Amino acid sequence: MSLAECRSAGALEVKFVPDEDVLRHIADDAGVKVQKGKSQLIVNTKRFVKKLEAISDDEAQEILEEKNYVAVLGLCGEGTWGTGTYHRCYFGRFFLSQRLESESEYSASCSEEEEVEEAQKEVSTVLSHQKTPAKTKAVSTPPSRKTLTKKKDNMNNLVEEYFEAHSSSKVLTSDRTLQKLRRKRLNQQTLHDLLQKSPLAYAAEIKELNQQYESLFSKWMLQLHLGFNIVLYGLGSKHDLLEKFRTSMLQDSVHLVVNGYFPSITVKSVLNSITEEVLDHIGTFRSPLDQLEFIMKRFKEDSSLELYVLIHNLDSQMLRGERSQQILAQLSSLPSIYLIASIDHINAPLMWDQAKQSLYNWLWYETTTFSPYVEETSYENSLLVQQSGSLALSSLTHVLHSLTPNARGIFRLLAQYQLENKDNASYPGLSFQDFYQQCREAFLVNSDLTLRAQLTEFRDHKLIRTKRGADGVEYLLIPVDDSTLTDFLEKEDEDV
Amino acid sequence: MSTRSLSKGCFVFKPSPKRRKVSRTTADYFREGNSDLEDSELRFATCQSLQKQVKSETEQIEEELNEQLFDNLVSFLRRSHSAFQEKTTEWTWRTKSREIPTAALVLGVNVTDHDFTFRSLSEVLQNNVTPYIALLEAKDCPGIKNLMQKLLGQLMNCCIDVGSSEEEDYEQVSHTRVRCSMTSLINWYESATKRTDSETPGKKRTSSRHWQSPPVVVIFKDMESFTTKVLQDFVVISSQHIGEFPLVLIFGIATSPMIIHSLLPHSVSSLLCIELFQSLSCKDHLSTIIDKVLLTTQFPLKLSEKVLQVLINIFLYHDFSVQNFIKGFQLCIVEHFHSNPLSILCCQLEEAKRRVNSLSHNQCENVRRLPSFRRYVESQVSEKQIALLTADSSLKEAVRKLLEDLNVYHENYFPILRCLHVFTSSLPKYPLGKQIRELHCACLENRVWETEEYESSLQLARMLNKSDLVTMLQKCVEILVSSPGREFDEIVERLKEFLTQFQKLEETYQERDESVSPQKELQKKTNLYNLQKTLLELKESRRSKKLTKFEMLRFEVVDYIDSLVRRYLVPADHKTLHEIVYFNTASVLREHLNAAPRIALHTALNNPYSYLKESSPVIYFAKCEPEVRFILRRSTHKIKCHSVFIDPLKIQQVVTWSISSSLLRIVSGQENVIFG
Repeated sequence: MSLAECRSAGALEVKFVPDEDVLRHIADDAGVKVQKGKSQLIVNTKRFVKKLEAISDDEAQEILEEKNYVAVLGLCGEGTWGTGTYHRCYFGRFFLSQRLESESEYSASCSEEEEVEEAQKEVSTVLSHQKTPAKTKAVSTPPSRKTLTKKKDNMNNLVEEYFEAHSSSKVLTSDRTLQKLRRKRLNQQTLHDLLQKSPLAYAAEIKELNQQYESLFSKWMLQLHLGFNIVLYGLGSKHDLLEKFRTSMLQDSVHLVVNGYFPSITVKSVLNSITEEVLDHIGTFRSPLDQLEFIMKRFKEDSSLELYVLIHNLDSQMLRGERSQQILAQLSSLPSIYLIASIDHINAPLMWDQAKQSLYNWLWYETTTFSPYVEETSYENSLLVQQSGSLALSSLTHVLHSLTPNARGIFRLLAQYQLENKDNASYPGLSFQDFYQQCREAFLVNSDLTLRAQLTEFRDHKLIRTKRGADGVEYLLIPVDDSTLTDFLEKEDEDV
Repeated sequence: MSTRSLSKGCFVFKPSPKRRKVSRTTADYFREGNSDLEDSELRFATCQSLQKQVKSETEQIEEELNEQLFDNLVSFLRRSHSAFQEKTTEWTWRTKSREIPTAALVLGVNVTDHDFTFRSLSEVLQNNVTPYIALLEAKDCPGIKNLMQKLLGQLMNCCIDVGSSEEEDYEQVSHTRVRCSMTSLINWYESATKRTDSETPGKKRTSSRHWQSPPVVVIFKDMESFTTKVLQDFVVISSQHIGEFPLVLIFGIATSPMIIHSLLPHSVSSLLCIELFQSLSCKDHLSTIIDKVLLTTQFPLKLSEKVLQVLINIFLYHDFSVQNFIKGFQLCIVEHFHSNPLSILCCQLEEAKRRVNSLSHNQCENVRRLPSFRRYVESQVSEKQIALLTADSSLKEAVRKLLEDLNVYHENYFPILRCLHVFTSSLPKYPLGKQIRELHCACLENRVWETEEYESSLQLARMLNKSDLVTMLQKCVEILVSSPGREFDEIVERLKEFLTQFQKLEETYQERDESVSPQKELQKKTNLYNLQKTLLELKESRRSKKLTKFEMLRFEVVDYIDSLVRRYLVPADHKTLHEIVYFNTASVLREHLNAAPRIALHTALNNPYSYLKESSPVIYFAKCEPEVRFILRRSTHKIKCHSVFIDPLKIQQVVTWSISSSLLRIVSGQENVIFG
């Protein structure tokens, strides 16, 4: 049985490999070391075959319908991490070969390469994106025909053997990570667009659900006024609901919106915005507790002061601390501060002990909205998105564009040197003396003072980092990951 | 303005000053949330007044409960303080003794309510004893330095309260710079007391309120959570200075007084002169609250069995917090008045009667829709039925009468409940519960005399001894005499009669004792035949168990109590119009107070359809039951759109009645039924 066979088999019986499978492959049967890099796609829906036919190359995939986005991911995964599918291929190959026997004739003399070529012709339309030289090279020796026929004879035996082999095999940690995806990760915009286009299931029902919650608004207001505070829980983003509450009920009153999911939110900033913007107080406080005391005093003195506080994600990373919660609880216990908050973490109620709960005086409302956490997660990095890299890259190019060509050259030298040494784990950086030497040779600087001046510029923009080695020599490093640096250099080359 | 930003997490919105004027009041929100606008303002006002009433009542109860404890503490302070004043005169004695007077206040495990207790304690002390009070919490004092800082800060602030406003500024500036040590504390104390001494006569009032050279009271709210090192250091350091200023410590203890000895080594604890104070346990506290708030006719709103059960469960299994219980009750009040348009009648009887007169037509329809009222109409003769269903005036009259009945029912219910509790609480194993709340729940749930527990408790009651029975009867008489019920005179008479009978019985008993017992007679007789005869007789009598007079009387008493129970302890939901005064949506309460976010997430992920499914119920055609048809035929020309009629199918209301299609859409318990 050759791989070509597998491939032709794949053409006949094409099966869609879902994402979970891919994930499963990442997780398990890494212990089985088989032909690396080659696999077949088993896609069983004709519809899918048609679609795939339309794909001529890698780029074509990008214009795939967003519906198939996940499927595309699955394909990519299959294409590159073929080993994972070994056991399925094993079977697929097996009984497919029985069917194929009549149609395809194989001679023993037939070389592997030929077989591969032949098979590729058949499936080229389907799997053209896999047809890279690297891939074909990666085809390793398939099991011999003899063993194959043997196996054919006692299939049941084989099944048993298979499971025996697998049950005993130790589960090893897979090294197939997302990094190894040959397919480039999508940038945020593409991902966002793809997701945006997908229609929301059960839109009508969800809308109705939300309308139910919206009818509670005036009740919430009533209960807020009667001294309770309101906490919303349940699956789905409650951001929009609270936002609607804000726009419909709170337009005529002073209110504070706190985005708990904001990565650098602190209690201090919440208190600051109360003292500075609500109470118009100019001045600083020694500690948040002082500030809290001041706020409490002001609110107690002036009974006409009223403040609605909306906190999205009270249980966020930054606010879930004991001290923050204590301060917020004390704040909410003021009779003229009305707090309405949402929680999402499954263990969020554990934040509050009895004392805090009685300060908060919660009324719980279940608001399962099923809406996506778009806003809340917008600050987080997706695994599938190369977010941080692109940001760093853009800032790199941006800063360097405003510098002189000489300065750019200096940076290039450093970057190239760093990339040359990227495999060296203990690379300390380029020592200043060496760097000066190189720069002089490239006619970039004429004295070490000018170099230092340039370096100060870089350092101010946090483009380089200096550290002193054990021998007292100054080493220079660019604190950007290698891939970004490579991209940067490529881009520079294009520009020049 | 949007709340999305890459650089900011907090957004303040201020309305323009013009718009700020049109701010809405709480009453507006109350009205808005209601689908019916019927009398919402009046309802809200009733709700508010009731809430206030409950609040003041519970506060008063708490005050009363704490009074004893606080009195004891104050007298303790006085004693220790007088010792200090003596000490100042005896120099030698002062150097010898370094004991700090300490009050160990055992409060039990509950953090939230203790805050209130401590707050009111410090208020009481501030008003009567001393202005110098510091409340310390373990989480503020990780080290002795923080403790001293906190202590000085609090003491100097309360000094400001007494001092004049000019001194305030001075003090505030200085206390930040003061070195936090015992010496500075003493210096401060001396200057503070000197200042109050030299105060102008105009300020005499404040100083006379406190004692001469008032003691410094330091309260450790949660003694167990303090680190031992801090406590030890503080005790040792302050014992060095006890001669120079009067210091009194109060330890709040959650577990047992033994903890002091396990936290502090002997060398340290010997520096303390500890006196123990026990506060009321939270369970007793709750019983008092239930007794005084729920089991009275004072408040018109009542809680149904399930609601009460939810509240009690939250208390017993979650927090032991009486405050939360009261909060739950307050929520019940709001929910009841918010959700039930007829709650307008949930007020004192006279007021309610007056309000009945001004009920609108819609409200009358609401009354007709009440299941209990429908049952009532059903029991009336047909002419009356029609009158009740069609004429608002006759309905109003009936409602007035029914409300009165309900009021009388409550007036009778609570005293009889207490009487029954007197009996059941002394029975072995407490078949009907030890607490009156359990009995109350049992009575509300269904007919208590039909339960097994009641049966067994009656049996046990039939075995009570005389002295118990007499004391119980006396207690019952007391309860009934003190209660306002009108029908109790007769009952009291009867019970008193029983008591005198017991009294008489005692007298006759003594007489009987003198008479010869059969055994003694037996010894006298020697005739064999006679002996045989008497023995047989004895056996006979034993088998038939001839009842003594006492036993007969006991049976009578128990039967009488039983008859009282059957007459007065009818469950509330058998009463007409109970929906008006009983709050019974326990699910709402549980949802809002005792939510389960984890379960909500679980169901949302596992079974999203439970949230997403269409909420409109299934509509199908059903055959008319003969009875329904009968009623329909009889009243077809009377039934209007949205009318109500009574039926055995538990059909609740006619939603649409269209003559053209001769279709009747009826909403029954869960589903809509359409009759052709």
